[in-house]
Amino acid sequence: MTNDMAVLDVAGISKRFGDLQVLSDISFTVTRGETVCVLGPSGSGKSTLLRCINWLERPDAGQIYLNGDRIGINNGGVVMSDRELSRVRTRIGMVFQHFALWPHLTVLQNLMEAPVQVQRRPAAEVREEAMALLAKVGLSDKADVFPARLSGGQKQRVGIARALAMKPDVLLFDEPTSALDPELVGEVLLVMRELAREGRTMVIVTHEMGFARDAATRILFMDRGRVVETGPPERFFVSPDTERARQFIQRYAAG
Amino acid sequence: MSAADVLAILQGAVVTVTLSLIGILIGLPIGLGLALLRWANVPVIARVVAVYVSVLRATPLVTLLLLLFFALPNVGIAIGPVSAAILALVMNTSAFNCEVWRAALMNFPKEQYEAAQSVGMHASLRFRRIVLPQIVRVSLPGLVNEMSLLIKVTPVLAVVGVVDITRAAVRIGAETYEPLPPFLVAIAMYAPIVFALVSLQRFIERRQLAAEAA
Repeated sequence: MTNDMAVLDVAGISKRFGDLQVLSDISFTVTRGETVCVLGPSGSGKSTLLRCINWLERPDAGQIYLNGDRIGINNGGVVMSDRELSRVRTRIGMVFQHFALWPHLTVLQNLMEAPVQVQRRPAAEVREEAMALLAKVGLSDKADVFPARLSGGQKQRVGIARALAMKPDVLLFDEPTSALDPELVGEVLLVMRELAREGRTMVIVTHEMGFARDAATRILFMDRGRVVETGPPERFFVSPDTERARQFIQRYAAG
Repeated sequence: MSAADVLAILQGAVVTVTLSLIGILIGLPIGLGLALLRWANVPVIARVVAVYVSVLRATPLVTLLLLLFFALPNVGIAIGPVSAAILALVMNTSAFNCEVWRAALMNFPKEQYEAAQSVGMHASLRFRRIVLPQIVRVSLPGLVNEMSLLIKVTPVLAVVGVVDITRAAVRIGAETYEPLPPFLVAIAMYAPIVFALVSLQRFIERRQLAAEAA
């Protein structure tokens, strides 16, 4: 069904909102340690694709496998219950465009919430790991601060640390720097580059071409709900196969 | 006006506070439950709740109370004045509370909810750990407002024979032919009750602010 190294296997996903076909028959595989950057004009379905992977959005057709386990449909062939879906989602980390931190909890509590409440792991152990994650994203001194006191870049680094705290098999990033002031984008990309270097398995929807070019192991180029082109960044950015990809790259190169 | 009269009004105050507290404590969670049914858009039930809330918000409390007290026995349900009073208060306040809770739920940021889903929190965890603490804070002023209104409509309970602060004052005024002193005492008793409630709200809000400033 899938090869051994495939962490994520997306097969024939389609999604329609009313009259609008947002995703048409999307298929791709992400192997362990890959950093896949999903590029494409806005409205091409990139975010919806990401949200279908962890079933925040329910796909109309197709299958998604995480390490060989079907997501969204259980062994009996029926749509998973909220509890079943929740269990699967613990293995898929997600980073949101607008950070989506929980404002009533401190930074440290944001990181500890799911490992303690969902995975029922001992608080002392989780705290230690959470502090290590905060150190990794450069925010050790913000552990006891509430999110409202953080800059956008700091919030997003907390968002990444929160996703990592669950030790997921794959990390999904939904335009993680699009809501940031330009001068704050760098600090977030730095963290993401580090994760890529460590060999985390990641799927990143982004408009940061520079990042995609030098951090991605593979580019997935989407347009109008379809995967138009896929390949290593060296080839995609230098000699794309399709005219649409060429135009897209040119538009971004022009600024 | 004698010391016994003041004592009588104080007894009325106990009745007012007790009935208000019971109404508040039962009406609060019922209001939240109704709001959740609407928020979750449970088929049919959500519509029924919407109609229930609209009807109750449009019904004067006295009318509702009289209906319960005089009509329920007619259909074979025996009900005393106190039970009728509590039932009327709960039905009335839960409808208003429902709308306060619902407004907070509707404004709850979707992305925060999805973030809770994405880390694998199931529905009841999401609600208890992420949604509830935040909507309580947002709803608090509206809920306290509704509670103080509830305390101040309790004099209508007298129509079925409940002797609250106001009813006690009326009686004393009628007996002594000096209505001014008992009514002044009555007014002086409502103030600290509502003040205590508002102080509790301030205390909770200050504690939250202090926690966040830390």
